[in-house]
Amino acid sequence: MEFVLEAKQLSKVYQDKLALKGLNLQIRAGEIFCLLGQNGAGKSTTINLFLGFITPTSGAAYINGLEVARNVTEVKKYLAYIPENVMLYPNLTGLENLALFSSLAGFDYSKEELMEYLVRSGLPAEAASRRVGGYSKGMRQKVGIAIAVAKHAKVLLLDEPTSGLDPKASNEFSELLLRLSDAGTGIFMATHDIFRSKEVGTRVGIMREGELVDVLPAADLEANELEKLYLNHMHI
Amino acid sequence: MKIFRILIKYEWLNFRADKGLLILTALTLFAGLYGIYYGTTEIERQRENIAALDVLTEHNVEEMKVKFLGDADAGDIGYYHSTFAVNHPDSWASLSLGQRDVNPYYLKLRLLNLQSQLYDTENINPLKVLSGNFDLAFVLVYLFPLLIIGLCFNILSAEKEQGTLPLLLSQPISLPLVVGAKLTFRMMLVLGLALLLSVVAMVWGQVVPDVRIGIWLGVVLLYCLFWFGVAFLVAALQKNSAFNAVTLLGVWLLLTIIIPALLNVYVAVKQPVPQALELTIKQREVVHAGWDKPKRETMNKFFAHYPQWTDTTEIQGRFAWRWYYAFQHLGDVAVEDLARDYQESLQARHQLVAQLNVLSVPVNVQGIFNAMAGSDLPSHLAFLQSASRYHDSLREYYYPFLFNQVAFTHADYDGEPRHSFTSSPDFATAYSGLVKLVVSVLLVYAVALLLFRVKEASVK
Repeated sequence: MEFVLEAKQLSKVYQDKLALKGLNLQIRAGEIFCLLGQNGAGKSTTINLFLGFITPTSGAAYINGLEVARNVTEVKKYLAYIPENVMLYPNLTGLENLALFSSLAGFDYSKEELMEYLVRSGLPAEAASRRVGGYSKGMRQKVGIAIAVAKHAKVLLLDEPTSGLDPKASNEFSELLLRLSDAGTGIFMATHDIFRSKEVGTRVGIMREGELVDVLPAADLEANELEKLYLNHMHI
Repeated sequence: MKIFRILIKYEWLNFRADKGLLILTALTLFAGLYGIYYGTTEIERQRENIAALDVLTEHNVEEMKVKFLGDADAGDIGYYHSTFAVNHPDSWASLSLGQRDVNPYYLKLRLLNLQSQLYDTENINPLKVLSGNFDLAFVLVYLFPLLIIGLCFNILSAEKEQGTLPLLLSQPISLPLVVGAKLTFRMMLVLGLALLLSVVAMVWGQVVPDVRIGIWLGVVLLYCLFWFGVAFLVAALQKNSAFNAVTLLGVWLLLTIIIPALLNVYVAVKQPVPQALELTIKQREVVHAGWDKPKRETMNKFFAHYPQWTDTTEIQGRFAWRWYYAFQHLGDVAVEDLARDYQESLQARHQLVAQLNVLSVPVNVQGIFNAMAGSDLPSHLAFLQSASRYHDSLREYYYPFLFNQVAFTHADYDGEPRHSFTSSPDFATAYSGLVKLVVSVLLVYAVALLLFRVKEASVK
């Protein structure tokens, strides 16, 4: 399989508003693609199309070679998702939440294995057995990361994943992404964070008003150059 | 199937951790147990009262024997001696008391005119009638929908509002599977509770084990499924939890209170029932007028109904018991048409309600329960007819003493007819109601599924 994630002329129109315009994109296994753009640029729409939460107006999205719109449930075996604000079942513990989502994904982990995933994602061990209702946003985000990692997906979709994480946790998250990338996971990350994109991205895309206006190899750019380029595209 | 089981397991974990839902479920359980206690206690009280009537009758006979030591005139005995027509409850009555609290379950009868004795009995407490029965049928018909609403009003909206839906649907599962598992868990919980309470009520009430066990459980199952269908339909609208809660409570209010009240008004207008009081007054006027009418005229009218006594002796003097009972009897004859109209109107009103109850599933289900328990209006009317026949048999027993002028001896008390009537289930009404219930359930799920399919795309 050459591309784990692909978009072909992918468009989405909400009533009269063009949210995504003819997106063409391919991501290989092990590649980290960071998508920069302002609020309303179409980043979340793109992710929702890959998740099958919305259907494209035209074009098609593919995960692991399967067209998402035609295989909505099947493609989710191959992808993991971390939203900007991970929300979990407040009456269940972190451990129970992870066990639930892992078992839905087809993985029956032992308690020790689940605990290891949580701790590796940065959640304190003592918090794992507490109800999620008392967690901070950052703690929930770490459980969300554990859920995604435990799924061993071929594609990881991230929507502002470091939102709510402190700098240390953000840095650990970057290292985690690089490890997953090394293990062959294709990663698509929508973000506002230019420096994080430069740090971990293989390629960086800039999206403006539903259109992918530029795609650059992250290795060829300095963070400052990327920031200038981004601001130019945004006409700021 | 494995995914389904996983979802059910976590629904249980979520339910177990939700104090509000635990309290709501426990309250419904206690209400159900109290309903069973109330129903069985009420029927036990009625049974004890009915059993005491035999003792009262025996006491009355003993008093008669003391009052009339030797041979007596049967006219005196017919006047002073009382006996009872009793409506024994069916063994299922404790599950659904129906009208057994508003209609008399026994009638004290003497040989006098019948009609006034049928309707002058008032052994009910108005305050108790106002508060109504709290039997198991009430809990199932009126309170269980509230439990279902409490469990299901946010079945989908909560996932959206607490933000867990995107993460959930990013797993290889479909939305219908998630909703199906949530509904299934709640159905298992509610049906388990309803069936448990039903079985406890059947054992506690010592019901006769017959086909009604299956019908009762089937109706309970279908009725709960109906309310789950309503909750599913409202959830399919994809609105927020507050909207769902208000809408479902509105539907509950509409089906359990507003429509029944409107039906009551409509039926009262469409099928007016003559007042029993009017009948009683007319009968009393006829009876009282009997004192002033020529005896020959009264007796001739009476002999037209009982030609076998035509050749008996002429009434002599100012008073004779057979003349007295003749004009009592003619009082009943004078209001025969009114009495028939009254009973037929009640029956017609009941039939009209049975036709219109398709508008309210709770009214239909309450009707099924009452019909099965023999505690509905037709059962009471059947009891009144049985009491009338019993009164006829008393006349048949006493008239030979009166018209042949034979003395009534102590041994003759033993020959007096006794009455016994046991309410019986009305299976025709129950089956007809069951068919309507099945149609209601199918209809609500068809609409809900259609709406869910149409709105599914906008869920996420």
